[in-house]
Amino acid sequence: MSPKIGVVTFPGSLDDQDAVRAIRLCGGEPVSLWHGSDDLDGVDAVILPGGFSYGDYLRCGAISRFAPVMAEVIKSADAGMPVLGICNGFQILCEAHLLPGALIRNDVRVFVCKDQDLQVESADTTWTSDFTRGQMITLVLKNGEGGYVADEDTLRRLEDEGRVIFRYVNGNPNGSFHDIAGICNERGNVVGLMPHPEHNVDRLTGPTQDGRAFFSSVFDFLTAKV
Amino acid sequence: MARVVVDVMPKPEILDPQGKAVTGALARLGFAGMSVRQGKRFELEVEGEVTEERLAEVRRAAETLLANTVIETFDVRVEPAPASAAEDTDAEVSDAEDSGAEDNGAEENTAAENVAESAEEAELTAQAG
Repeated sequence: MSPKIGVVTFPGSLDDQDAVRAIRLCGGEPVSLWHGSDDLDGVDAVILPGGFSYGDYLRCGAISRFAPVMAEVIKSADAGMPVLGICNGFQILCEAHLLPGALIRNDVRVFVCKDQDLQVESADTTWTSDFTRGQMITLVLKNGEGGYVADEDTLRRLEDEGRVIFRYVNGNPNGSFHDIAGICNERGNVVGLMPHPEHNVDRLTGPTQDGRAFFSSVFDFLTAKV
Repeated sequence: MARVVVDVMPKPEILDPQGKAVTGALARLGFAGMSVRQGKRFELEVEGEVTEERLAEVRRAAETLLANTVIETFDVRVEPAPASAAEDTDAEVSDAEDSGAEDNGAEENTAAENVAESAEEAELTAQAG
């Protein structure tokens, strides 16, 4: 049986259908989840997709973070369920305190949309085990508020514990501290990143297929667990 | 109804790209020597009396939703009632007098209480500030 991966749609989510498509292309069973639901429909993992939930009102992700479905996501994440936040999903995970730090407006003060080179810093998470440490990949990056910030203590802890998962290379596109593009929680089951793996799963629509490893990683993890 | 204002500002060590853009625009317009940091102001119309408990609740609301304390600081204060609201209160008192309240002393007490409340509010403002 292929793993069931839920994709939450918030009002203003943009990339939920791309995430659903990517899961299917990579061999999983996508399950669409509604933000107002208080049930995860028995999924094995959850993706919070990119977009502009609630129009980015107040702060990106600040209102979505309190959507009914998020209570379940937080509970399941704390219990070890793999959760991936992409772009707006990353912002929601930070607002929900499932991940430390915050995302602020790009220092360049423009919306950035490009094929971004990244270095994989850790393969020790449920979403990145199919990468190798030090591997160079390219993923689509598109955001206005992707500057990762955190206080010195948090940054030191992230670095010391190997929880910086991806770093921007060949230029920092948004002023993120320590060139951070993605991080994980202590347990490694919750991962957030600004670039978009779901846009990089086939030749037709992405510059690379480097996004596929995210899905194969979590499928491996879930299959091994079963 | 009282108005409680929550001001939210980016922490000093956090880059403020919006403030930077505004600073640049001001300079281009000839407003020299002005450096801007941009925040948010929330106006909460709060039902009932603004007690210290109620203010604590507003602070909790600010911490929970209005501000992200990872990157922002917030300040809660009670805004003095606008002049029109004060007139309304007076009108109510005089209405009561017109209705033939026998004990004028009681009405005076009510007015005195109102004043006391205002003073209390002012004190709360000072504390919150």
